[in-house]
Amino acid sequence: MKKTGIIIAIVAVLAVIVLWGIGVNNRLVTADEGVQKAWAQVENAYKRRADLVPQLVATVQGAADYEKGVLTEVTNARAGLDNVKVDPSQLSEEQVAAYQKAQDNLSKAIANSIKVTVERYPELTATQGFRDLQTQLEGTENRITVERGKFNEAVQSYNTSLRRFPASIIAGICGFEKKGYFTAPEGADEPVKVEFNF
Amino acid sequence: MSQLRRILCLLLVVAAMPSWAGEWLPQKPQTLVSDYSGILSAEQVNALEQRLVAFNDSTSNQIVVVVTPTIGGDDENAAAQRLGEAWGVGQTEFDNGVVILIKSKTADENWGAVAIATGYGAEGALPDIFCKRIIDDQMLPALGDGDYYRAIVRALDVIEPAMAGEYSFAQYRKDERRSALMALLPLLLFIAVAVVVVAIYSKKHPGQGPGSGGGIYFGGPVGGTWGSGTWGGGSSSGGFGGFGGFGGGSFGGGGASGRF
Repeated sequence: MKKTGIIIAIVAVLAVIVLWGIGVNNRLVTADEGVQKAWAQVENAYKRRADLVPQLVATVQGAADYEKGVLTEVTNARAGLDNVKVDPSQLSEEQVAAYQKAQDNLSKAIANSIKVTVERYPELTATQGFRDLQTQLEGTENRITVERGKFNEAVQSYNTSLRRFPASIIAGICGFEKKGYFTAPEGADEPVKVEFNF
Repeated sequence: MSQLRRILCLLLVVAAMPSWAGEWLPQKPQTLVSDYSGILSAEQVNALEQRLVAFNDSTSNQIVVVVTPTIGGDDENAAAQRLGEAWGVGQTEFDNGVVILIKSKTADENWGAVAIATGYGAEGALPDIFCKRIIDDQMLPALGDGDYYRAIVRALDVIEPAMAGEYSFAQYRKDERRSALMALLPLLLFIAVAVVVVAIYSKKHPGQGPGSGGGIYFGGPVGGTWGSGTWGGGSSSGGFGGFGGFGGGSFGGGGASGRF
C-alpha cells in the first residue's frame, strides 16, 4: 500500500513537470509568433519603400536633361534586395544582419540620388510629383523606424524568455533559437537619414 | 562585488530605457484635447473637446489634439507616433486613432512644428500625402499667424469627414459584442464538457463522489499553466459616454509633418 503511494507521488511530480514544460513551450511559441508577426510588418514597410523606387525613377526621368547615372545606384541596390532571402521562422542574427545590410544600401542609394537630383535639377523639386514623392518616402522611412523598433521589442521579450533559467532547458529541448536584432548601420552612429527639407 | 556592480548596472540600464525614448511624453490624460503650452483659451479647449468627444461617440474614431512646448529631442513625426502608441489612441480592433501634435514656438526655441500621426487603421482614410496637404494648406498658414485654434479647426474640418465613412459606432458595438461572446465560448464549452464527464462518472461509480478521481487532479495544473497570460500584456479598457478613455489603438508611423 505504501509502495503505491510512492509511485503515485512520483507520477504526480512527473506530470506536473511535463505540464509545466508544455506551458513554457506554449509561451515560447506565442512569443515566436509575435516576432514573426513583427517581422511581417518590417517586411511590409521595406517593401513599401522598394515599391517607391519606380516612382522615384519616373519622377527624375521627367527632368529634361536627365542622366542615367543618377539612378543606377538606386536600381542596383533595389535589385540587390532579391538576393537576400530570409526565413521568417528562423530570423537568425546572420539573416537579419544580411537583410539589414541590403536595405541600408538602398537607403543610402535613395538618399544620394535625391541629393544629386536636387543639385542638378532644382526645377524638379518644385513639381507636385516630386513633393508627393518626398512625402511618401518620408512616411515610409517613419514606418520602417517604427516597425524595426517594434520588431526589436518582440525579439527582446522572446530572447529573454528563451534564455531565462529554467525555461532555457525546455527551449533547448524543443529547439528554440535566439533571434537577431536590427542594429545601427555600420560606420554610422546615426541611422541613414534621408533629408527631405529643401 | 563585481557581480553586484554588474547587476546594478543592468538595473540602471533597464530603468533608464523607457525614459530614454520620449522623455517629454506627458501622462495619459482623461481628455482628447491637451494644451500643455497654455495657448488655447478655456472656451477653445472646451469647444474642441466637445467636438472630438461627439465624433468619438458617433464613429468610434479617436482624434487627439496635443499642444506642447517641447518634444524633447524627438523628430515631430516620431513624437506624434510615440504619443499615440503610448496613450493608445483609437480602438484596439480598428487602430483608428489620429494624433494632431503641435509643438509651439517658445522663448527658447523659435521654431514650431506640427505632425499628424495616423493609426494603422486610419492610414486608409488619411494617406500620408493627404495629411501633408492638410498641414501645408490648412494648418501652416494659420499657425504662421499664431492662430493655433483656427489651424486645429480647419484641420478637423477636413479630417472628420474623411474618417467618418471608414468606421461607424454601430459597427464598433457589433464587433465588441461578438468578441465578448467569442471570449465566453471556451468557458461555456468547458463547463458543458465537465458536466457531461461528471454525469458519466457518477453513473459508473454510484456512491463515489467526484473529486477522488485522477482526472479532476490533472485539470488543475493544465488550466493553470496554459492559462497564465505572461504574454497577454497589451492594452484594453475602453468605455463610452463622455470621454470614456483611450481604446488601445496602435500606430505604425503613418502621417506627415511640417514646420512653421
